[in-house]
Amino acid sequence: MTELNLINEYASAAPIAAWLGFSASGEGGEIEFRLAMAEHHIGNQLIRALHGGAIASFLEFSSQAALHARLLGERSVATVNADVDYLASARAEDMKARVRFIRIGRRLAFVEAAGWQRDEQAPVAIARFRFRIGEGQK
Amino acid sequence: MSRADINPAVGAMLKSASEWLLKEHSLFQSLDLKPLLIGRNKATFSVYLPEEFCNAEGIIHGSLLTIIMDSIFGLAAFTALDELKPIATINLRSDYMADIAPRKRVICAAECSKLRGDVAHVTGTLSDEETGELIASGSGAFMIGTRGPNRESRL
Repeated sequence: MTELNLINEYASAAPIAAWLGFSASGEGGEIEFRLAMAEHHIGNQLIRALHGGAIASFLEFSSQAALHARLLGERSVATVNADVDYLASARAEDMKARVRFIRIGRRLAFVEAAGWQRDEQAPVAIARFRFRIGEGQK
Repeated sequence: MSRADINPAVGAMLKSASEWLLKEHSLFQSLDLKPLLIGRNKATFSVYLPEEFCNAEGIIHGSLLTIIMDSIFGLAAFTALDELKPIATINLRSDYMADIAPRKRVICAAECSKLRGDVAHVTGTLSDEETGELIASGSGAFMIGTRGPNRESRL
């Protein structure tokens, strides 16, 4: 199974992926993740910005799905902790993300994700996650 | 619920913001936020964990805990202000300490530990309302007096 297939399978089993409007496209290291903007992602109706928590959730799920696929779907991955930097206000539009593996060890993985809207060179948020890799698939 | 010591203008704004959150906003409506305490530098809410935020294993996806902390921590930052100003999260760090099942409630207790110029520092915890078990903790920094998304940068 390709990484993209594994990611799609992982997302289709998780209700939160539907809440996020999550999808993925591309192949290998070039996989691009997408959040399809919906009204329930808006944090502040006055300024019509995406909720910071929704952005964090999207980046975390993207990172988790990418790691799951990189481990061939054979290991469980649980988030230990998350750090999100909000670089700019997010418009009420779709968001895209790319994931980078900093290190994947035997028991731990360090993963970074960047989310953007109109310009990949101007990310709206950057996040770092540490994952505990389990022995087997849960 | 205590609103002691909050600046009246900020208190009025918080009241209208919470009313809007509870009535109009589909995300917060599904979280059924119940304020337990809102005071100067403090906000404590009881929050429902809906099934739609589950992962594939049928437990609550950790990022819902981040969504909750981002929201309540932001409210705690508001209570520290003397005049109404927009705020935005600079960064948030969350530690996930235990799994929790859906259809339970958690207590999110946030405290603005310090307002330094136009930056508010907030820490807090999430615990199982029933058992008291610590589920997550977090710390965040919030920028006070930000501009909207129509500008190049809000910072």
